[in-house]
Amino acid sequence: MYAYFVSFLLSIVTYLLIDNVVLTRFYGICSFVGVGNKVKSAFSMGLAVVFVIVFATLICFPIYYYVLVPAGLPFMDTVVYILVIACLVQVVGFFIKKYSPALYKSLGIYLPLITTNCAVLGVVTENSNSGFDFGISMANALGTSIGYLLMIVIFACIRMRLDSYSAPRAMKGVPLALITAGLMAMALMGLTGLGV
Amino acid sequence: MSQGGYIILAIAIIVVLLVIFVVSFVLYRRTPAPKGCEHLHAETEECKGCHQVGCQFYAEYHETKPKEEDKK
Repeated sequence: MYAYFVSFLLSIVTYLLIDNVVLTRFYGICSFVGVGNKVKSAFSMGLAVVFVIVFATLICFPIYYYVLVPAGLPFMDTVVYILVIACLVQVVGFFIKKYSPALYKSLGIYLPLITTNCAVLGVVTENSNSGFDFGISMANALGTSIGYLLMIVIFACIRMRLDSYSAPRAMKGVPLALITAGLMAMALMGLTGLGV
Repeated sequence: MSQGGYIILAIAIIVVLLVIFVVSFVLYRRTPAPKGCEHLHAETEECKGCHQVGCQFYAEYHETKPKEEDKK
């Protein structure tokens, strides 16, 4: 039990920093560059991604192992996962819009963007393809989503500071953002030697 | 349960998910935005490089930006 708990924590750290979803695996780059220009927007988007990835994992894991695999239909996983993610985003979006104006104000406009965020599909697909058990799948979901949140907020902070400095016209905006993302990815590469 | 039963269950899950998606999509569209949130929009300045044509911000960007440029 203790060894499993340690493995759970190490998996979270691995997916949070060493095998980061955005800067190492390059999932979710579109929203990372598109929304990561203001800290508040980035934080809201990151929170929405955390919520959807964790709940998508909770729902997709039993469907894959207790329905698709016994039915001999594991190749249908991508179709089912996309449907689950789309439903989850729509249902959550509806309830937030109807019952929680404050949450809608901060998260609402970013929820539809998550349907097209490949980080969500990437996590649930990796869980089933790698044969992770439920605990490690949840560690993957938590580590990946919090890693996304962390990196998009750090990226937004750096970009806000960069906006206040003068840069050559050709480098302003997206080119500088991509160079920043590249430098952040290189910084994270330094952690690969940890061997966690 | 036999394999046939699991296949029927899998098909039922897919159908249920489709129904949930359609119903929640219609409800989401019909629900008015909360007071003060009617004109919320994302920062669309970065949308020109994205080609997710199904995204609402893509449509919003391409409806508004060309008109503004035409006026200039």
